Amino acid sequence: MAEVMKLPFWRVNVLTGLKGARVIEDPRECAGLIRRAKRPLFVAGPRAIDHYFDNGKTSLEYVLEIARLVNMPTCATAHVKKRMLELGIKPDSVYDIIEIINHLKDPDWQGVRKEGNHDLIVFSGIRCELAELGLSTLKHFAPHLKTMALCRYSHPNADYAQPILSDEKWKGYFEELVTNLQQ
Amino acid sequence: MVVTLERDDVSELIRPEDMWEPIGPTPMPEIPDLRNWSMRLLKTYKPFYAPFCDLCCLCTYGKCDLTAGRKGACGLDIASQQARMVLIACCTGLAAHGAHARHMIDYLIERLGENYKIDLGMQVDVEAPITRTVMGLKPETLGGLRRVVEYVEGGLIHLVSSTHTGQEGSSLDFEVKNLHAGMLDLLVMEAADIAQIVGFGYPTSIADTPLVDIGWGSVDKTKPVVLCIGHNAASANALIDYLRANDLEDEVEVCGICCTAHDVTRYSDKAKVVGPLSRQLFFLRCGIADVILTDEQCVMTNIPEEARKTGAALIAGSDKICYGLEDATEKETDEVVQEMVDDGKQFVIFDPEKAGEVAARVAVEIAPRRKKGFIDEAEAQELAKGCEKCKAFMCSQACPNLLPIQQGMQQAAEGSFDRLRSLFDQCFTCGKCEQECPRHLPVVKIMQSVATKETFKLRSGRGPVHDVEIRKVGSPIVLGTIPGIVAFVGCSNYPAAGDIAEMAEEFAKRKYIVCLSGCAAMTAAMQKDEEGKTIYEKYPPDFDAGCILNVGSCVANAHIAGAAIKVANIFATLPSRANYEVIADYILNRVGACGVAWGAYSQKAATIGTGFNRWGVPVILGPHSSKYRRLYLSRKEEDDWTVMDGRTGQLVGTQEPTPEHLAYVIETKERAMVTIPKLCMRRNDTPPGRQIKLSHYISLYKRYMGSLPDDLHHFVRSTRDIPLVYKKEVLPYLKEMGWKEKPALSLPTLIGTYPSKVRLDAVIH
Ligand code: SF4
Ligand code: SF4
Ligand code: SF4
Repeated sequence: MAEVMKLPFWRVNVLTGLKGARVIEDPRECAGLIRRAKRPLFVAGPRAIDHYFDNGKTSLEYVLEIARLVNMPTCATAHVKKRMLELGIKPDSVYDIIEIINHLKDPDWQGVRKEGNHDLIVFSGIRCELAELGLSTLKHFAPHLKTMALCRYSHPNADYAQPILSDEKWKGYFEELVTNLQQ
Repeated sequence: MVVTLERDDVSELIRPEDMWEPIGPTPMPEIPDLRNWSMRLLKTYKPFYAPFCDLCCLCTYGKCDLTAGRKGACGLDIASQQARMVLIACCTGLAAHGAHARHMIDYLIERLGENYKIDLGMQVDVEAPITRTVMGLKPETLGGLRRVVEYVEGGLIHLVSSTHTGQEGSSLDFEVKNLHAGMLDLLVMEAADIAQIVGFGYPTSIADTPLVDIGWGSVDKTKPVVLCIGHNAASANALIDYLRANDLEDEVEVCGICCTAHDVTRYSDKAKVVGPLSRQLFFLRCGIADVILTDEQCVMTNIPEEARKTGAALIAGSDKICYGLEDATEKETDEVVQEMVDDGKQFVIFDPEKAGEVAARVAVEIAPRRKKGFIDEAEAQELAKGCEKCKAFMCSQACPNLLPIQQGMQQAAEGSFDRLRSLFDQCFTCGKCEQECPRHLPVVKIMQSVATKETFKLRSGRGPVHDVEIRKVGSPIVLGTIPGIVAFVGCSNYPAAGDIAEMAEEFAKRKYIVCLSGCAAMTAAMQKDEEGKTIYEKYPPDFDAGCILNVGSCVANAHIAGAAIKVANIFATLPSRANYEVIADYILNRVGACGVAWGAYSQKAATIGTGFNRWGVPVILGPHSSKYRRLYLSRKEEDDWTVMDGRTGQLVGTQEPTPEHLAYVIETKERAMVTIPKLCMRRNDTPPGRQIKLSHYISLYKRYMGSLPDDLHHFVRSTRDIPLVYKKEVLPYLKEMGWKEKPALSLPTLIGTYPSKVRLDAVIH
């Protein structure tokens, strides 16, 4: 059995039950999971606005690039919409984090493109403890979808999580993910 | 249906011969009596669970893993287990307030007698709106308040009992019980605050209460200092009495943390407020307190150890927190003082007068020989050099607020403190980082160097909203022309300390009525503008548009719910006596109030929030409160927003999601800013009222989100609702969204949409 994420970087999120995230060490595998999804959704949180890498890019810019490459709709939570508009991109949907999770857990929800509920939800940029609780909701109440956390501190309650990464390695992961999705 | 009390007992207790109002359908309700009302709320505002733990470990069949559809050995599923954990939290919160009220009332009855009259002054005739509505009686005396506590105690047994294994099995019915616990909580808080107002002579019937000093920097460390921590000010007030009787009030500094601080400043405006509960360890570690006098709730559980570290003396003054200490209640006072001064002994003293006297005398004795105060930047720099920049970032891993402490330490070691200063604003000084640090770096102590030493001004708690104020604002609130009542309440587990003052001021400027209480009220005081003024100095203290008022400590939250009830009772003249559903329905549909518990952390805060929800008041919570694991949410696009028109008796599909949620977690201040005006909208808003509310919603949304609100079409009922200044933008937007005029109604109510003893005409006033 593949490694199950039990202890993420932030110790408030310790996994308590038996079902924990599969750690996706390889960005190529991550790209494959995203590409194989039929109706993925990218949920971007406010930390993606504020997190700058040493190349001057924010993690939001990587998020938007990933979404663009696979034509994945976006959901801007908190006040992310403003920054997206400043970057010239209109989010496909605007819900706060709790609202989008509340919609996602309904299998009959038609999704942000009204084409049916999403099958893979990729999260990035949400406060760790809040994201972990939201992922817990989906783990328990949304068996119809899979979740993926692109967070360098990792998330045991997701289905797929990145390993705990330094900032430098996180940037590398994003870069490789983008490269793979371009191919 | 009545579970515990026979109808005759109820009748006798509420004295039907007192004809002040007709008796409504639910005097002294038990769980089944308001079950249908709760179920109706839960139909629109469905419970949303975010399991904090996948397991249940409450009985020896377990642990049971309840993940993804599994059931426990007792048959319980994960949703019900979450609701059950919330009920355990709500019962704990209710018990804490109930025991506080019980102690306070018994203590005051012992001093003043049970026939001591309740008189809240010229401005307050409706003395106990929650008690009147829930129980159907006017308390009138301290003895009457004891009856309130007895009723609550009876209710609590049933609630706690439901959490046992093999009892309740439905998450919805657990939520009914949560709402019941919340209702009892606000009720017993009202009793507690009324008791202390009349028993201790706290200010009442005045809005302009004294501005008192707040901030650790305001505490005069050259004097002997007694620090009171907790929520039950009986011993702190007895300390003030002792100082007054011995002409020592100017010689000994009395200060407090958390709600005891609020209440002791209601008793003596010479007392100082150190700050909210999140600054407890921070202040303890500076050693400025010569004597620590603890009472109950939210007190650090390792204070004996912390006191020893700085050589402070400790007296525990409550049976709730005894710390394993020797009981000195019956011991000679001189002997106790001597043992504390000479041998450094710590005691528990259950007699408030004795505890107060001992605290004062020990402080006077030991203060001159103690070294105390904050460390400066030079000392902090030396200490910060101890950070070995561990690769694991152990401090950050342990920090519940996700703070990059290593960066702050590195810069401090180089003599630059700006980063640390900004981290202090987000740190609640829990000390977990120090524990995990391989060098045990004293992070909390190092923070002393960057903490402001300023003195701020807090308006001391004023207790109930005045009847005359309600008469003035009732109509504009219900019409919507006062855009809302925003109540910033609760504890200090927020994302950043500056948020609350900023939000409170924003809404006061926009002519909302802004109320504060508890640690939120304190935190809001600890920000100054360019002229050096706090929000309490800048805005009038009335319950009116554009004003900012502090009702007081946690138990004073009851007066905020009380104000909403009074709008229904005094302004709309609906009888409140034992008439819970009618009054709550009125509040839900007509009173644009919204609670903001931005830093809620405790079980009590969970209970208070749930209590407000049962009255029909939505509550916004900060991100950490997702750990409460349950919210009440609607889905505006999908849900059925049909209500009854009380005048025509017709069901109307309003398509209008107001209020949109009842319990809701928000991640950022920016998002809270745009959600507060939305949650203040009500179906009853007149077109001019809705215009005002929408204009705030639109302008804040544009500021923080960069566009018109994405859900604006849900809140525009007719073109008359559109604010004139935005008409040009809004009309094309509505067209694009395919918006159509929504059905109008004259008297929105949920009565008639669910099984209830209440007749529809009861809502007409
Ligand atoms: S109470 Fe029920 S779910 Fe919990 S441990 Fe016991 S059997 Fe398992
Ligand atoms: S004391 Fe402050 S920095 Fe340290 S763990 Fe607690 S919140 Fe974080
Ligand atoms: S845990 Fe201690 S040594 Fe490690 S970075 Fe934090 S303060 Fe420095």
